[in-house]
Amino acid sequence: MITMQRRDFVKRVGLGALAFTVGGAEVMLTPSQAHAQGVPYKVLTAEEAKTLDAVCETLLPGAQRAGVTHFVDHQLAVPPDQSFLMARVANVQPPFVNIYRGGIGAINRSAQAMHGKRFEELDAKAQYVFIDAMRQNKIEGWAGPPGPFIYFLMRHDAVDVVYGTVEGIESLGTPYMAHIAPPTRWEA
Amino acid sequence: MSTEKVDLLIVGAGASGALYAAVLAKAGKKVLILEQGPDWKLGDMVSNEIWGRRLKGGAPVTLEGRDKMGYGYNSGYGSGGSAAHYFAMFPRMLPSDFNMKSAHGRGLDWPMSYAELAPYYDRVAQDIGISGDAKAEERWRPPGQAYPMPPLPSFRHGDVWLKGFDALGMKTARATVGINSREFKGRPACVYDGWCNAGCPTGALANPQSTYLKEARAAGAVLKNGCTVTRILTNAKGDRATGVEYYDEKKQKQVQEASVVLIAAFVSQAPRLLLNSANDKHPNGLSNRNGLVGRYLMAHTGSTIWGMFDEPDVQNYMGTLAPMHWSYDRYGKTTRKNAFGSTLWHCSPAIKPNDIGGIANSRNDLFGQPLADFIKKASKQLARLQAFCEELPNADNRVDLDTSRKDEFGLPMARMTHTYDADAMGLWQAGVDEGLEIAKAAGAKDYWAIRGAPTIHMAGGTAMGKSAADSVCDGYGRTHEIGNLFLSGASVFPTEGAVNPTYTIYAVSLRGAEHMVKNWASIAA
Repeated sequence: MITMQRRDFVKRVGLGALAFTVGGAEVMLTPSQAHAQGVPYKVLTAEEAKTLDAVCETLLPGAQRAGVTHFVDHQLAVPPDQSFLMARVANVQPPFVNIYRGGIGAINRSAQAMHGKRFEELDAKAQYVFIDAMRQNKIEGWAGPPGPFIYFLMRHDAVDVVYGTVEGIESLGTPYMAHIAPPTRWEA
Repeated sequence: MSTEKVDLLIVGAGASGALYAAVLAKAGKKVLILEQGPDWKLGDMVSNEIWGRRLKGGAPVTLEGRDKMGYGYNSGYGSGGSAAHYFAMFPRMLPSDFNMKSAHGRGLDWPMSYAELAPYYDRVAQDIGISGDAKAEERWRPPGQAYPMPPLPSFRHGDVWLKGFDALGMKTARATVGINSREFKGRPACVYDGWCNAGCPTGALANPQSTYLKEARAAGAVLKNGCTVTRILTNAKGDRATGVEYYDEKKQKQVQEASVVLIAAFVSQAPRLLLNSANDKHPNGLSNRNGLVGRYLMAHTGSTIWGMFDEPDVQNYMGTLAPMHWSYDRYGKTTRKNAFGSTLWHCSPAIKPNDIGGIANSRNDLFGQPLADFIKKASKQLARLQAFCEELPNADNRVDLDTSRKDEFGLPMARMTHTYDADAMGLWQAGVDEGLEIAKAAGAKDYWAIRGAPTIHMAGGTAMGKSAADSVCDGYGRTHEIGNLFLSGASVFPTEGAVNPTYTIYAVSLRGAEHMVKNWASIAA
């Protein structure tokens, strides 16, 4: 066994800052800062973002505060060959917004049919039960991209923003050990 | 518009293209590589799984069949190709891989024996730097040269499995890897931080940027990025390649003349390029009179076992993505009762929380607070054991053209159709069953297998062979129908063994490149 030695000071940049437009000016914010400031989305509608936020928070607590919707929204706004989304690795055909829009739409149609509400309006327990059924492809009348695949993609997004970062890995009590730390600009 | 003619035009700057470029440029040839993706430099290789995704992807493909190819994860996009993000796990194929058809009436024969290829395995080790214990490996293969560096150190999350292998009477050896266990040719030793999948910027891992691509450029080879080759051009008679048509980084159509053309593209794109280059002399595509271009696409199933060990810290965040230990004890083609083919056991990679190989994905049924609790615990106690299992070449698994989908230049995309047969699934299931036994005997507190057979690695599509009747190219990659058109990379593999492809890609490519230099006058004439 080798004793681990911390050899690289890593700035606590989290996911890095993205370029967001606030009041007509471009500013650099991390996804969590963008979330906290309620920065407008570039691709997703406000309604879509509410659903995605609620789904990801159900998938992994902390995803909302880590700014998962601003992360996803930003990655949907860049050309697909510059995207960081798991969708790229999971063979989704670009533009990637289609699978998110399709998934969010299917989730809300099913939530409406089952509960008469959008997903984000359900209580936490109902949200959990809904996602558990979606991941097992057990929602009757589901109309959209396969539920288990939507679960797979959005769960990866949630894990990415919560644990795929310097802060996230160090929060587990494990060292990050970067050769090249993630830059402050979270862009290709 | 045409530019100055070159000696050798290479399509693709991955492992194989980089090697050919280095060898031919050092031999004084004027070499040009056209690469579709960006020119990733070592300084671009950010230590983060999410950033590492930029190195993957490549040209979009259509995926069909029951067991769709894991294209996005395995492919490469840009300089270095998939070897820019590979794990540099370097198992060799064994003698039994090269004559399966003759010996068993299964699969295909290679146009060379292990004995013919072995010296090239040894030389690649000296070229790029390989760490391993050749003597221990020779339990399973004929003797050869020692590796230039001793094996990497092991960590507890790999060592925990050894008790299980012992209990089943299986021998293990330290894995052979293209990663420096000490300084090699001015490149530093690895520091075991587990960021291999995001690309290794230090030079410790033998990616093309640190090895053959660097040598190629130093010897004068030119690399142009952002260039998509769309067609191989031939003379009127159709028996010589004259160059390629491509779109440059400004999306302008260009023609590049060359004395010799080498297609060193990925498994999906090499057949596509031959098929899209059809002309009046080659109506079914180049070197495709026998209809074999695109056939015999292969992947590896992976029997994947995860175990939680009741220890304070197995240091699974340390190490490399290549394993520490492996066993060829189940490599014999008839080892399993009900399935034909080879199995290679290996353990264990460093594990990050996210991405395909990460902690979260080891239990994809968990979400919410149970997922958070699991990740916390697993970050200190989780370890992985895996078997690569062979898939035999099957003509129905193939790359062809999806005429319903065109790329931005109007050319049909590649369609990869892939379904595992009963042998492949049988090997995978036998691996799962055996892996669970190993985990139990190793004393894992909790252990489980991943359900569903993944598609790991890719090979085939332009198989090499002894006869023009049953292959696309010969043992040096020379196509049977066009004497100055060559193929290289995993697409030329007639069979794949149960090993990661790149060490064999390098060995076969080194053999082919030196043959090309030696016979240049007749090939380029």
